[in-house]
Amino acid sequence: MPPLMKPFRFGRELPPGVLSFVMNIPTLITLSLVLAYPIFYAAYLSFHKVSLAELRRGVFPFVGLANYERIFNDPLFLLSLKNTLLFTGLSVTVEILLAIAIALLIDQTHIWTSRVTKFLILVPYAVPPIANGLIWSFMYSFEYGFLNRILFTTGISHSAVNWSGDPSTALIAVAIPYIWRTLPFAILLLHAALQGISHELYEAASVDGAGAVQRFWHITLPLLRPIIVVILVLRTSFAFAVFDEVLAITQGGPGDATWVASWYSYKKGFAPPFDIGVGAASAYVLAMIVGLLAIAYVRLIYRRIN
Amino acid sequence: MDQTPHFIGRRDLLLAGTAAFASRQASAQSAPWALQPTSKVDKLNFVVWTYGDIYTKISAKFKTDWGIPVDSTISSFNDHPAKLMTMYGGGETIDVSQSSPFSFPNFISQGLVEPLDDLPGAKEYLADLTESAKQVAVYEGKLMGLPYFSTVWVWNYFTDLMEKAKFEPFKTYDELMEQLRKAKQDKIAEYPIFWVAGVGLEQLPGTWYQMTWNRGGVFFDKQGNHQLGAGSIARETLKWWVQTFKEGLADPESLKAQFTSSAKAFGAGKNIYRGPNHHYGLNIANDPAQSPNAGKIKVLGSPGDGKTIGDTHVYFLCTATRDKAWAWKLLQYLGGKTKDGQYTQAINLARDAMLGSGYTSVMKSTAITEGWKPWGDPVKILEIWDKATYVAEVVPSIYKPWHFPWSDRINIEVSKALTGQITADVCCDNVIAAIKEVQKG
Repeated sequence: MPPLMKPFRFGRELPPGVLSFVMNIPTLITLSLVLAYPIFYAAYLSFHKVSLAELRRGVFPFVGLANYERIFNDPLFLLSLKNTLLFTGLSVTVEILLAIAIALLIDQTHIWTSRVTKFLILVPYAVPPIANGLIWSFMYSFEYGFLNRILFTTGISHSAVNWSGDPSTALIAVAIPYIWRTLPFAILLLHAALQGISHELYEAASVDGAGAVQRFWHITLPLLRPIIVVILVLRTSFAFAVFDEVLAITQGGPGDATWVASWYSYKKGFAPPFDIGVGAASAYVLAMIVGLLAIAYVRLIYRRIN
Repeated sequence: MDQTPHFIGRRDLLLAGTAAFASRQASAQSAPWALQPTSKVDKLNFVVWTYGDIYTKISAKFKTDWGIPVDSTISSFNDHPAKLMTMYGGGETIDVSQSSPFSFPNFISQGLVEPLDDLPGAKEYLADLTESAKQVAVYEGKLMGLPYFSTVWVWNYFTDLMEKAKFEPFKTYDELMEQLRKAKQDKIAEYPIFWVAGVGLEQLPGTWYQMTWNRGGVFFDKQGNHQLGAGSIARETLKWWVQTFKEGLADPESLKAQFTSSAKAFGAGKNIYRGPNHHYGLNIANDPAQSPNAGKIKVLGSPGDGKTIGDTHVYFLCTATRDKAWAWKLLQYLGGKTKDGQYTQAINLARDAMLGSGYTSVMKSTAITEGWKPWGDPVKILEIWDKATYVAEVVPSIYKPWHFPWSDRINIEVSKALTGQITADVCCDNVIAAIKEVQKG
């Protein structure tokens, strides 16, 4: 009878720390190629003169901080940043409030309609952003739009509202479709988090005489905070980069009422005279702001939890 | 000397005719547009903006004539520069593309455009170009492109509402304003006038350029000094224009209107007048398939001496071509002659889409005088055509690479003025300030 063979082994077993590092290497390489390289390349471009001719030749003259100097001296860039901050503040706040409210509603499992709602809530998320923008631009149409038709038929107004053509309503007109499209994502996360909260906590609070508002304020909200941070970080960064709705509905107009930072970067980089270096610089400023805001959110909210 | 009259017999006539036909055929086959390049390619491509199905047809004809398939990349008019730029910057092959006259100098300065002077047949094309087309296609003495189409800015009016209001087409801007006010007051139309004032290179700025030129003004003088200061014609024109919005006479949808969308909106029959824009809008507004008021939209010249503006869009041979000789062949199919020596594309565009041509011979042909008839009065439009000046005479900055970003600022500032965010004076001051900013590059 042949002797039993020893199991095959690659030398000695790796310590857990090293093993986890090795296991992470493929992901690290993939992410470096897919995410880090474009980010660093954009940073490189922002310090160089890059237009069509340079891009074609592959030779980019170094210009130092000139591109950054140009954008900070451009009133349109500063206005775009202001509009972006307004848009982000508005859309993220409304989105989180609505998402919490809707997540709480569909969490009521004893209401059978909540199952239907759970499905329907996903529909806007499935609509491509540019299609969403186009759908809403038809809804906003001054003469033939659905929204004005509602106003007329319900007698709320006898004159049409120029939703996306009036400078005072244009930014809101862009924010509404954006919120409509991205809200399901926040609802899903919050709904999942709600399901992880133990019912015993609510029962104990009820025994102690806590009402619905107190239960929400002292149990639900603190336990939702980590997920709210995640939503805040993600939604803020996405709202800062809003583009499709602007392109489809207002194209930055009327005037500069809806010029947001990503629209500015696009116009600088992808319209004549194709200042890609300037476009990259403006995109980088945007990324920095988003990064700082994300750090601030995490520190602020986790500090409160601790 | 024999004075006997010499009569030509039937046989002589037949022989002469056959000889002439054979000689014409031989010369047609040796003509530059009929010669096959010696190099070999497996395909060609062009990057253009959309217009009906004209590119499907001409690509099919090219394949039939030369056996080479043509790939097309087609985007919207406003997105075309970005599409072209990303392809060029990304190192892709582009044989032929096209340009608005407003972005052409920029494309040339960026190195996208190949000069055509030395290519076979280029001189013949140059000789046949209209003056307006020459001003776009010839840049710093070199032929840089072949014409796609030419157009002039015309006004339109809707006959039903004109009759209802008992108006005659206006002859002065004051009369126009009076008519608009009266039409609004009498509830003939809630918004009596529809302007083509959407953001773009030729839409909103074009309307301002046209009315300023018609009133005798320009945006820059020959020395390059701006003409937008206090009391300037451009500034006064803008004030007048703003007033139509302030008094609720202008349709608010005007601020989103592009070329075709404005023609479609006007075809709905809710406005009396449509502000000046490309003449071929009639092709939509008077098309029964696209307009409920087809046949009721008429063309109108501009007030005073009728001066208006016009321009020509061009096709060009891209420096990123795979094969210059074949790309030139394809360029001729789009902007010149096909193998049979005909301006096939230009003639089809005139007959199918009411577009004007950058070639004198086409403009004088029945393709125009008969081809335009289904949608408008060719005689009337050609009268307006004769009073048109290339828009660069009004705005010479078009030849400068900074015109494009400056045009962006015009769109922003004028939109703000038209929507009441700033006054016309502030708008003009901002537009003046923007000149220096964009010149810094």
